[in-house]
Amino acid sequence: MVDQSHKLSELVEDLTTSGEPQLNPNKLTEVKKICKVSIDYIEHFYHLIMTQLAKEHAEIRLSAFQMVSELFTRSHHFRVLLVDNFQEFLDLTVETDSDEPLPPPKEVARKLKTIAIQTVQEWQAKYGEAYKKLALGYHFLKQVKKVDFHDVQARTLAERKRQEEKKKRLDRIYKEKVEKAAKEMEDAKEEIEQCLTEINNSMKLLLPTEFEFGDLHTPTTPNHSIASFTSLPNGKSSTSSDMDDQPCCSKDLGDESKNGHTETSIRTTADEVEDCSEEDDDDDMEGLVDEDAFIRNTGLISHKYSLDLNLSTDLKLKETEENEAVVNIIKDLHKLISTKYLPSVQSWVQVFTKAGVPEPTLRQAIDLKKSLDRAMKKHEELHIDYKARQRRVMKAPEGSDDDDDDDDFEEVPEKEGFEPHIPDHLRVEYGLDASSSNPLAGKESVQPPVRRHAPSACHILSRPRNGATDEEQDPTCAASTLRLFKQLTACGVPSVSSSGHVTTSGGCLGPTDQANDPSEDRKNAPVIPFGLDLYYWGKEQPTAGKIIKYVYSQHQFWVPIEVEEEVENKELAAQMKSRYITFAGRFEPVKHRCKAPMPSGALCERQDRVKCPFHGRIVPRDNLGKPTNPEDAERLEKEEWKRREEQPDWRDPELMRDIELATGEDLGSSKTFGKHKKGKGKRKKYPNLSDLKKSANTSRSRLEKKVFNPSSMRRVTDVMNKMDKLKHAKFANQFNYALN
Amino acid sequence: MLGFLTARQAGLDDPLRLKRAETTRRVLSLELNHDRDVDRIHSNGINTIDIEVIEGRYMLSGGSDGVIVLYDLENNSRNAHYACKAVCTVGRSSRYVHRFSVETVQWYPHDTGMFVSSSFDKTMKVWDTETLKPAEVFQFEGNVYCHHMSPIARKHSLIAVGTKDQKVQLCDLKSGSRIHILQGHRGEVLSVRWSPRHEHILATASTDSRVLVWDVRRASGSLFSLDQHNGDKSKASSQAVNTAHNGRVNGLCFTADGLYLLSTGTDDRMRLWNSANGENTLVNYGKVCNESRKGLKFTVSRGCSPEFVFVPCGSSVAVYAVHTGELVSMLRGHYDNVDCCDFHPDYQELYSGGKDCNILAWVPVLRLPDLEEGGTIAKEGKSQAAVNPAFQDAWSSDED
Repeated sequence: MVDQSHKLSELVEDLTTSGEPQLNPNKLTEVKKICKVSIDYIEHFYHLIMTQLAKEHAEIRLSAFQMVSELFTRSHHFRVLLVDNFQEFLDLTVETDSDEPLPPPKEVARKLKTIAIQTVQEWQAKYGEAYKKLALGYHFLKQVKKVDFHDVQARTLAERKRQEEKKKRLDRIYKEKVEKAAKEMEDAKEEIEQCLTEINNSMKLLLPTEFEFGDLHTPTTPNHSIASFTSLPNGKSSTSSDMDDQPCCSKDLGDESKNGHTETSIRTTADEVEDCSEEDDDDDMEGLVDEDAFIRNTGLISHKYSLDLNLSTDLKLKETEENEAVVNIIKDLHKLISTKYLPSVQSWVQVFTKAGVPEPTLRQAIDLKKSLDRAMKKHEELHIDYKARQRRVMKAPEGSDDDDDDDDFEEVPEKEGFEPHIPDHLRVEYGLDASSSNPLAGKESVQPPVRRHAPSACHILSRPRNGATDEEQDPTCAASTLRLFKQLTACGVPSVSSSGHVTTSGGCLGPTDQANDPSEDRKNAPVIPFGLDLYYWGKEQPTAGKIIKYVYSQHQFWVPIEVEEEVENKELAAQMKSRYITFAGRFEPVKHRCKAPMPSGALCERQDRVKCPFHGRIVPRDNLGKPTNPEDAERLEKEEWKRREEQPDWRDPELMRDIELATGEDLGSSKTFGKHKKGKGKRKKYPNLSDLKKSANTSRSRLEKKVFNPSSMRRVTDVMNKMDKLKHAKFANQFNYALN
Repeated sequence: MLGFLTARQAGLDDPLRLKRAETTRRVLSLELNHDRDVDRIHSNGINTIDIEVIEGRYMLSGGSDGVIVLYDLENNSRNAHYACKAVCTVGRSSRYVHRFSVETVQWYPHDTGMFVSSSFDKTMKVWDTETLKPAEVFQFEGNVYCHHMSPIARKHSLIAVGTKDQKVQLCDLKSGSRIHILQGHRGEVLSVRWSPRHEHILATASTDSRVLVWDVRRASGSLFSLDQHNGDKSKASSQAVNTAHNGRVNGLCFTADGLYLLSTGTDDRMRLWNSANGENTLVNYGKVCNESRKGLKFTVSRGCSPEFVFVPCGSSVAVYAVHTGELVSMLRGHYDNVDCCDFHPDYQELYSGGKDCNILAWVPVLRLPDLEEGGTIAKEGKSQAAVNPAFQDAWSSDED
């Protein structure tokens, strides 16, 4: 009995403080079960509910009201009880007393009121005959409070009408949308299908070839030769046709080059290098092994187009010159599909499903979408490795002059790509320092600024140099390949450089070449501002730090004792010869975490260097947060023990709170441990209810916070006091001012 | 009951005893009865009701809308359920209607052919019940809060009128003129009452916190003023001397025998005075909510052995035992403040009117015929349920 009523109280409290718009049906059933047992429970329930209804929170009232309406339709006794106190009930739910408005939050209160009015009307219709006070209450609401029950219905009618209108409007909009979408689809369908077939076909084109090359790990020579043969003339033709548009790297140089004809010869060779390099792209790293042999055998520069397919795990397609066109198409189509067709088809499907259009259209749209998706997926599966798109068009810098100058030079077989060994006697020719075997990028990057100071003389020389660095950026020329190799093989391997550069570089380059080694050091050397120490660098300064003292007495007879006139100030002397460099060290990010176990079960995530502000010194801990070192563990335990002792267990806050609740006296549980349990004490009793005390974030409140905050107030008073004081100081002696 | 009957049969008891016992029993069992309704005519709060004492059949009610309604309380339909019909109305369409709120209506104590009403439109009208036309209209300078005719007067036919003016006016029905004024109050007069015991004794209550008792034959002034502290100066602050309440006194009522006078004030107190010497009997009724700015009409039972007083108290009517001050019951049924109530001495019924436009009839609950001792309780519920299906519980099976 006591059990049950206790449970009933708990249930009622739970249900009413849930803060939800609907009651938990399970708990409600439980309540009903208990209430069904006996009238006593109903009475108990009634009292509980009335207390809850009187709470100053609309959410509690709403929930309580919902429970009331549940019970009201079920129990006669409950009806009697409630009707007996119907005035109060109406006050609390329908707001009959204007002095006691429904509590906040407003939204819920409004909802409560409408629900209550509707429910009262229902009750009146059902029970009004039998319960006189209910009927009286209804009439009271109707006549005195002018609650228009018909208005409630009328309003719902109006609402319904409004809803219908809204629906109609929506329908109309949808219809328009659907029509538009259908039309669009009709228009775009062909295009899409075409696109689909195209992409499918191109993928089909790609795939079979791929399977042919699937086992091509050792390059098949016939294929190769064909490739080289076919591509060579192509390359030539392309160079000639592409003469007009130069790569940007050589474009700016083109203007310069027009000044002097001396350089043209160099230029042509360089260009030829470029031309040739253009042809074989960057795909010649495969077949490294047999390159030498190949070169030796054919006497040709290595033109290799090998398709490296790794089919073991998944499809991987590399764009090559052969399939370039197809891949290009695929790429374009893919882009088209993913950016244009797929979104539009998706939107159509959305529109159709929302508006509910006839089957065929929707199916069409869905089919389209499916096929597009399939195409996309297929494309994904291909894993096409697109080349970085660079404009591969090139132009010789100085159109026709090249041709006539060409014959001045002996045709040298172009060297492309990697040449592991360069005979020593050829090194000079290759523009390499004979002694140093690695012409590093550093050399080239250091030199240009030096050269710039002598524009006219070194002009010719600088060009190819610059060109070389720029060429490196160009993936189509040999220089880039060179760089690639340099990067690949960390140890410097000598490689091809433009031959023209070597021939002309001559003596001018000599000194800079020699300065190669110091330049490396120079790179590492720190840069420091100019100072006295540098001024006196390497000089022995006799006067450094010496101060001449003028001890000169003007007295006629008295002469001071002879003193050394020069005094050496050691500090000053040191300053002249030395320099302070503050060594700040290097920042090292903290890698460890505090990892102390927290009450939540997680580990502390703080990354302090030495000491965590919450958990003290950071010691190595395992994954459970236990210190790995036994001495640390011991120390921590001791600390814990100490802390416990400071806080005797009779002052256990929980216990104290219980005692306080029981006795009603304040033992200071909240005070003593306010620091520890501040958060706990402030925790809301019913977290589900919306907080009424939460101050609204209005402009007013924000301003108030600013204006009335203590520091600003103090500032203002300070200023005012100062003004006051000023006045007093000024007119202190004048009584007529002093008084006010 | 049976004991009383046998005693009566044997002639052991005074006939009055049985009557008293039964009356008391009935008063104690007053309840809002489902079978008794009063027609809703008033569109605004009801300020006053009066049941005539000659036949006990007709009831007058005056509302804030100026309407006066005459009800027939007699149930001749042989049916348990009865809604008191409005016999006639002085409605808004009548050209004689009070323009403002009707504050008091009262039957002429000796005949139902006449009644008197007073209103905030500064008039008091004497009506002919047959024609519903005023036979006489008295004009005053201020709002009329109340008037009263002596229920027992044979030698005079005076109406005491309390208005916004400090003076109590005495109007003579015989001459149709205001013949006398009683000076003494320093505030509006909210309630006037003739003693039912001595026809010349009049009690008046005012906003100046005082209750004065007059003998209208004496011109010089009031007989005495009721003092809540019984002249004990030490208890009273200088200003509170000779005051009946610490606020406005807005209700007065003599007991049926006229020996005591009850007064209510806005200090939420009710006091019982010895009407002979004006002594405060110091009966403690507890808090009697009273916020009315106008007169409050309350009543006492007649013919009970401990008498009861019915006082409007907020939205309910409180029933106190007059001499002990014990709160017997609260009659809760109104949805707004109750302003007036009247007791039907023949049937021990109480009628109350309030701001919620309702006149509620509180009828003694008849005891159900006992069948057998054991079965009563069990059957009670069932018989009730049989009467009305709405009384049945409706637990759905899923709550098992």
